[in-house]
Amino acid sequence: MRKTILILILILSAALPAWALGNMLVIAQGVDATTLDPVNHQETPTANVAAQIFDNFYRRLPNGKYEPWLGTAKALDDLTWELTVKKGIRFHNGEELNAEVIKFNFDRLLNPKKPLKYSTYFKDIKSVKVTGPYTLKVTTSKPSPLFLTRLTYFWVVPKKYIEKKGDAYFANHPVGTGPYKFVRWVKDQEIVLEANNKYWAGKPKIKKVVFRPIPEASSRVAELVTGGVDIITNLSPEAVGVVNDSGVAEARTVPSIRNIFVVLDVKGEGPLHNRKVRQALNYAIDKEAIVKHVLGGYGVPVGCPLNPYIFGYDEELCEPYPYDPAKAKELLADAGYPDGFSFSMGSPSGRYLNDRQVAEAIVGQLAKIGVKVDLKVQEWSSYVGQILERKIPTDAWLIGWGNAQFDADNTLFTMLYGGTLVDAPPQSLFDYWQDPELDQVLLAAQSEMDVEERLDYYRDALWFIREGAPWIFLYQQKDIYGVNTRVKWQPRPDELIWAFDAEIK
Amino acid sequence: MLTYVIRRLFLVLVVVWGSATLAFGLLYLSGDPVNLMLPLDAGPEAREDLRRAYGFDRPLYAQYGRYLLKLTQGDFGTSLRSEEPALELVLQRMGPTLLLAGWGLLFAVAFGVPAGVLAAVRKGSLVELGTMTLALLGQSVPVFWLGLMLILVFGLKLHWLPISGAGSWKHLVLPTITVGTFVTASIARLTRSGVIQELRSDHVRTARAKGLSGRVVVYKHALRNAAIPVVTIIGLQLGALLSGAVITETIFAWPGIGRFVLIAVSQRDFPVVQTTVVIFALMLAFVNLVVDLAYLWLDPRVRYT
Repeated sequence: MRKTILILILILSAALPAWALGNMLVIAQGVDATTLDPVNHQETPTANVAAQIFDNFYRRLPNGKYEPWLGTAKALDDLTWELTVKKGIRFHNGEELNAEVIKFNFDRLLNPKKPLKYSTYFKDIKSVKVTGPYTLKVTTSKPSPLFLTRLTYFWVVPKKYIEKKGDAYFANHPVGTGPYKFVRWVKDQEIVLEANNKYWAGKPKIKKVVFRPIPEASSRVAELVTGGVDIITNLSPEAVGVVNDSGVAEARTVPSIRNIFVVLDVKGEGPLHNRKVRQALNYAIDKEAIVKHVLGGYGVPVGCPLNPYIFGYDEELCEPYPYDPAKAKELLADAGYPDGFSFSMGSPSGRYLNDRQVAEAIVGQLAKIGVKVDLKVQEWSSYVGQILERKIPTDAWLIGWGNAQFDADNTLFTMLYGGTLVDAPPQSLFDYWQDPELDQVLLAAQSEMDVEERLDYYRDALWFIREGAPWIFLYQQKDIYGVNTRVKWQPRPDELIWAFDAEIK
Repeated sequence: MLTYVIRRLFLVLVVVWGSATLAFGLLYLSGDPVNLMLPLDAGPEAREDLRRAYGFDRPLYAQYGRYLLKLTQGDFGTSLRSEEPALELVLQRMGPTLLLAGWGLLFAVAFGVPAGVLAAVRKGSLVELGTMTLALLGQSVPVFWLGLMLILVFGLKLHWLPISGAGSWKHLVLPTITVGTFVTASIARLTRSGVIQELRSDHVRTARAKGLSGRVVVYKHALRNAAIPVVTIIGLQLGALLSGAVITETIFAWPGIGRFVLIAVSQRDFPVVQTTVVIFALMLAFVNLVVDLAYLWLDPRVRYT
């Protein structure tokens, strides 16, 4: 009897179908934001929430280019920039945006006593002076061709509000100039935002935006196909079918800014020290097959460290090495290893789309040319720790690089600068291959303010890298989102979900 | 009695110290948190600055000493990710977890004890076979699978209950069943064997001979005596409930401590992980004490000196 009553209660109180969301956009990411201070975190999920509430000085466009947003910046000479702030912009609390506020933002980022996580992007800045109510002069310690790109990281926070309430309060009760106003944050449950109808760039079309952290991938899919949420991140290729067949939602993809590759430890006298051997490894990998069979098609083979979004990319020099096992064997024989050799390779598990499976596929393909690979799979945090401390025990390691600055310098200097020149910065933490010619062009490009000249430098750099083959070049990853068909929105390469660009049909 | 309680409370302190030390040691063996806090392309100087700011550059014994000293002052440190006090972050998430564990336990007792009694009274019948098969299943089914199946049936197919999140009693139903099933099964099995044993004993035979009704005999004479191991298991199961919460909270996006600490571990947020370990240890030690004291009430023969 009691059981019957219980079941009756369950039926009667059955939850209303969740698809009655109306003019509200619900976004499910894997984790909650850690803070709502837009310049003091290191995660995409947090950046996605902050981007609704705040504006940056320059804005990144979906195609990877940038444009002036809260103001404009003009180079007066190689070291001096004039910033002009747009007039008439107000924060959600009514505070006005002006040059003093921008100065406060720079000071906050450059305060050596309390470094913020975004401070690292602005370390070249020497001084900031307010020259008028809406103008500032910024000087850098060396020519800084990436100055404008880095202004896309310059998310502007209110001066008076923070001075009055303090950083800690601000991080939980953010006030910005952006299209959405903060309503509430129930930790690990939801963040609710409502449209800022006075937004200076126009009234947002969607009235309410809710972010929900749902850690388990299959729960995210279940919520999506029952209409409980509108957009989910990191849809697995295996779940694409379920989503597309649901009649409610569909998978949408975009090539991401992230490349996946294998770094080869070329130092010492082992076989990997030999350029021909490294080229042979590149010829021996069937990138097309890996993308098709291991990634379900969610990748684009690429033959250089860059991809088409990145300034400095060159189609010809980034053409993937063709799959040619015969040529690979020939090169190995030339190098003195006709019977192959063996080396060890590391891979993370669960950090990138099917990373471990990709590593296993590489092992299988290299076996076909007689190269035996001893694969060691590790959990990400200890893996990345070993890499950063240069203590990784394997001869090669699979890793991805998401170039968030959309500029060749970020990938090439960070990953491949060898530190071979005198009076120049030391070798990069991630580099194992040393080529003085490459180092020279990378350094020259760093202080070259002319766009065409810089492109030329990077073309040279890509040529050296392609010939030297310090990595096994693999592919550019694709990001997969699950999106309710009622939502008009296209994913972007920088992983930003900007509700201002979305619309509900 | 009082000296016993005081002695036990002192032992609680020892347990807390031990777990704090263990948490400290294991975390520091597992790698440098600074590596995960900065973008990979941050320079070595930036890493050094951050290491210095958090005191990770000091010798291990100095860090350990400082950690213990602060702990005695109730200072659990600051989260490396959100820069908020770790204790506050942990306690905020403790509420939902205790709510879930509490309902799970209630669910387990409400279904486990009657099922066990029923199986004992109807020993040898189909009822016993049925309840004990269910109990066996309940103990063997992985929490993860059960949670996903419940989502599939009640969320996806029937649309009866919300799939994830929190905020209303409806959100509690599926996680409660998920987290409580294993405990329900152990309680049912234990109750059954306890009651069966008691039903065979002399005092039950006497009670029946006195002409007491079957119900009174079962509940007042047999069950009360069979309750001691059951109470023990309830206390012990709190640990299982809390660790089961890690999985359950992850599946159902429940805003509790289990899921929070899982993320904290993978991000090497040392202060948060240490705080959670210490709070959990404190809670388990305390519950064990309460369980031991509950024996006094259940069995007047038990004396602590």
